[in-house]
Amino acid sequence: MIQLTNIEKYYASKGVKNYVLRLVTTTINQGEFVSVMGPSGAGKSTLLNIIGMLEEPTYGNYHFMGEDVTSLNERKRIELYRNHIGFVFQAYHLIDEMTVYENIEAPLLYKKVGSAERASRIADLLDRFNIVAKKDLFPNQLSGGQQQLVGIARALAAQPSIILADEPTGNLQSAQAEEIMSLFKKLNEEEGITIIQVTHSEKNAQYGNRILHIADGLIKEDIKIQA
Amino acid sequence: MFKLNLKIAWRNLWKNKGYTLINILGLSIGMASCILIFIFIRFQLSFDEGYKNEDRIYRVVTNWKYSAYEDFSSGVPVPFAAAARNEIAGFETVGSIVKRNAFLQINDANGKEKMKSQEAVYYAQPDFFNVLSDIKWIYSAPELALAEPNTVVLSAKYAEKFFGSVKDAIGKNMRLGEKINLKVAGIIQDMPQNSSFPLEIVISYETYKGRFNNNWDSVNSAFCSYVLLKEGLRPEDLQQSIANFNKKYYPVDKIAGNQENKLQVLRAIHFSDKYDNFANASINRSQIYGLAIIGLFLIITACINFINLSTAQSVTRSKEVGVRKVMGSKRSQLIYQFLTETFVVSLAALLIACVITELAIPPMQHLFKGRIEFSLFGHPSIFAFMALLVLFIAFLAGFYPALVISGFKPALAIKNKIALNKRGLSLRKILVVAQFAITIVLIVGTLVVIKQMQFVQQKSLGFNPDAVAMVGIPNDSLSKIKYNTFKERISKLPGVEDISFCQSPPLSGNINSSDFTYNGVKNKDFELRNIRADENFFKVFDLKLIAGKLYHKSDTANACVVNETFLKKMSITNPEEAIGKVIYASGNTVPIAGVVKDFNDQSLREQISALAIFPGKNDYWNVSVKIDSKQIAATMKEIDKIWNSTFPNGVFDSAFVNETINSYYESEQIMGVLFKIFAGVIIFISFIGLFGLISFVATQRTKEVAIRKVLGASTLELVKMLNGSFLVMVFVANIVAWPLAYLFVSKWLAGFAYRIDVSIWPFALAMAISMAITLVTVSIRSYKAASANTIDVLKYE
Ligand SMILES: Nc1ncnc2c1ncn2[C@@H]1O[C@H](COP(=O)(O)OP(=O)(O)O)[C@@H](O)[C@H]1O
Ligand SMILES: [Mg+2]
Repeated sequence: MIQLTNIEKYYASKGVKNYVLRLVTTTINQGEFVSVMGPSGAGKSTLLNIIGMLEEPTYGNYHFMGEDVTSLNERKRIELYRNHIGFVFQAYHLIDEMTVYENIEAPLLYKKVGSAERASRIADLLDRFNIVAKKDLFPNQLSGGQQQLVGIARALAAQPSIILADEPTGNLQSAQAEEIMSLFKKLNEEEGITIIQVTHSEKNAQYGNRILHIADGLIKEDIKIQA
Repeated sequence: MFKLNLKIAWRNLWKNKGYTLINILGLSIGMASCILIFIFIRFQLSFDEGYKNEDRIYRVVTNWKYSAYEDFSSGVPVPFAAAARNEIAGFETVGSIVKRNAFLQINDANGKEKMKSQEAVYYAQPDFFNVLSDIKWIYSAPELALAEPNTVVLSAKYAEKFFGSVKDAIGKNMRLGEKINLKVAGIIQDMPQNSSFPLEIVISYETYKGRFNNNWDSVNSAFCSYVLLKEGLRPEDLQQSIANFNKKYYPVDKIAGNQENKLQVLRAIHFSDKYDNFANASINRSQIYGLAIIGLFLIITACINFINLSTAQSVTRSKEVGVRKVMGSKRSQLIYQFLTETFVVSLAALLIACVITELAIPPMQHLFKGRIEFSLFGHPSIFAFMALLVLFIAFLAGFYPALVISGFKPALAIKNKIALNKRGLSLRKILVVAQFAITIVLIVGTLVVIKQMQFVQQKSLGFNPDAVAMVGIPNDSLSKIKYNTFKERISKLPGVEDISFCQSPPLSGNINSSDFTYNGVKNKDFELRNIRADENFFKVFDLKLIAGKLYHKSDTANACVVNETFLKKMSITNPEEAIGKVIYASGNTVPIAGVVKDFNDQSLREQISALAIFPGKNDYWNVSVKIDSKQIAATMKEIDKIWNSTFPNGVFDSAFVNETINSYYESEQIMGVLFKIFAGVIIFISFIGLFGLISFVATQRTKEVAIRKVLGASTLELVKMLNGSFLVMVFVANIVAWPLAYLFVSKWLAGFAYRIDVSIWPFALAMAISMAITLVTVSIRSYKAASANTIDVLKYE
């Protein structure tokens, strides 16, 4: 599903190239649950952003679902966001002026999902994540864990085939973190959604079935986890 | 502390350069407009100020109440002053003054002609100057200089103009008209521009030929009486004696229209639209209020920008507020600090406003043809006004934002967790709606004024005024003999098509009206306007007869032509029926020879009057000359030459009928220009404010925009989202503005008897204009926000 070939990324400052990623080559298949690990500043977020097409690599080839997306036009990219990719952020990034319900609804509106379908999908998600009672609250009225649940519900609303999560539990207590991780695991196993997450915690990484260790912009280790 | 506040204020303003610029720009343009309006209004309100007896000085005016209409004159019958002096005990002094145009000639020491000119002269009794006793006499005194016939008093300026200096003027002679010799017996101060008495040449009343007129039924608005009430008396105290006086001199059975005299206080003269004044500069109070309201609108619009931008920006300063509060700052100190900032901004705006005002003064003076003193430093009250303006703005614009910002809770403020609460947002929305409602009212007003002026200029008047020159001719018996030679000589000019002797053009404010008798029955319902003109008049102005025929060439009134309106008012349906009936009016008894198709005989503010046209050589003041439009300049030069050789003692003056007609709409034209300027200013202020606001909103919503992009929103959808609320606000503003604009506009149009219908299009156009500019203004900024790179916002939190 994702094929990265010789991806390089650097930032030039004062004529000096600061490499963040060097010659990253890997393939991620449909249905995998990959945890990206590594020290701070290693380039994890950058890698994830490139996968999510939020950033472009300086060199290299990137195929998403068989399509070369290294230089995709805006319209196509928006298409992918609407139909295939869901983002989950460390800082949740919910829209402050919208209620829980409206936040979850937003991607469906962009996807032009009919209102009945919308209502049933949202009801379903609220139900699944146990946040029905919270649906009319605003983000700042929720705890961090609850906000992240909403964030995930929102990412799932458009029924993506892949979820990209950059330190989804970074701001959470361990109990809440576990809840989120088992949710990811369930989504991966039961619905076959591909998940790529960045995490610092070995324990969180164990929920997935593959770990990419990154240091100094290189993939140092690529471990498969046997269930 | 204050110095520190100033420093912080400066840094903050500098940090937000863009918003500061918008604020200062909007405020300074608004302020400049206000200062100009203030200067204008102050000048108008200062008319005839400073007379120490001002509340005892009154002008006596005359009113009529006919069954169908009322009439007003600033004049009194000639015998009024003498009678009132004896019979109205409350008057301490009564002085008559008459304004006339006269021809003056000044000779040098050898008796050779040095200068001749046509001037406005005033015949005045010494008592006039005892009423207006603050007019300074540089030489002599009223009783000494004006008691005898054949004396003249000049203003210092005219003494210089005629004789070189005040000293040289004293005792010199000048000639009035053909025969009368005047001796300069006194010099008075130059009258200021803000005076209803532009007295330059004052001749003793004893020289005035008409002074023995004893007719109580004849009132000329240029013949006025001014009175000084006895000390301590109010006009109410004189009511009874004036009523008795009216009853005695204007008995209903003898004098038509319930004629009566009334008192008008000195300071009301300039603001009266019913009664003329010598300076021809009256302005009615509603115009002054209208301007003041526009000034207020401008300032409010500019202040709304300020309030909106500062409250919007306040969020970014919440951390500063939090820290200050934790450090122990009281709320009042914070308010003080933010007010200091506003004050600095208003002061900066004032400086720029002064520069703009200075730049705007010359075109303004040009617009008002130099009749109004515009000067930034002309009067101390202008400084007081500026100081007040700055304080007013600093407070109006600064207080609410200061209150909001200083109210932030420190804990939240430090964590930068302050979001704009819903209430603040809706107040801002209301302000934007108010601002745009004002803007739209002005746009609609401007469109309607422009349209009406076009209508006035294009409406067919029922006659053709194009390429017709009115050439003044002397009216004395010697000149009258030469009328025919003059006519023959100019008829021969190749450019001249037709010539008619007449009083005035068909459309003129200067036509006498009188009561009349039709078919032996005296009419009591309306007055008849009397135009004197020879039979060629109809050809020169292309007037069409609908019945009967023209009168024959004659030096005296042999027959007349009436208009359709006359028939309508007399309820005569068949024009033929009127032919041959006899009319008695203004001392002439004549049969009706024909009926002329209606034409506008007054400005389009008025309905067409009933009128009669008949010949009368003794009362022609003008020759109207129809000229071939291709040869106008050359022909006029020739006419001038012939005129001067025919009437060597006169002064040639001429005017094109078209231009004279346009001059009747001068105040509307000035208003049109002012409307365009102020509408432009207000549009500018509103839209830079809008730009500031959308900039801020776009910055505020960067994160949201980024998230939405990641969720799959396209740039167009994001632009739409950012624009949406603004378009809705401007739309609501249109809806709010329409009824208000409709009220203003129909009130203004009601002043015209002939006017455009108030249609939907100025409103629709105003909406289209405002929505289009909004869309452009807002899209520029929101497109930038929507197409910006997302990732940086989402990356670091
Ligand atoms: N826009 C940028 N300009 C310059 N350097 C950047 C930029 N974005 C990221 N970097 C650098 O790239 C490196 C990798 O960053 P990142 O991928 O965020 O690391 P992490 O593994 O902690 O998520 C860091 O050293 C960071 O400073
Ligand atoms: Mg990171």
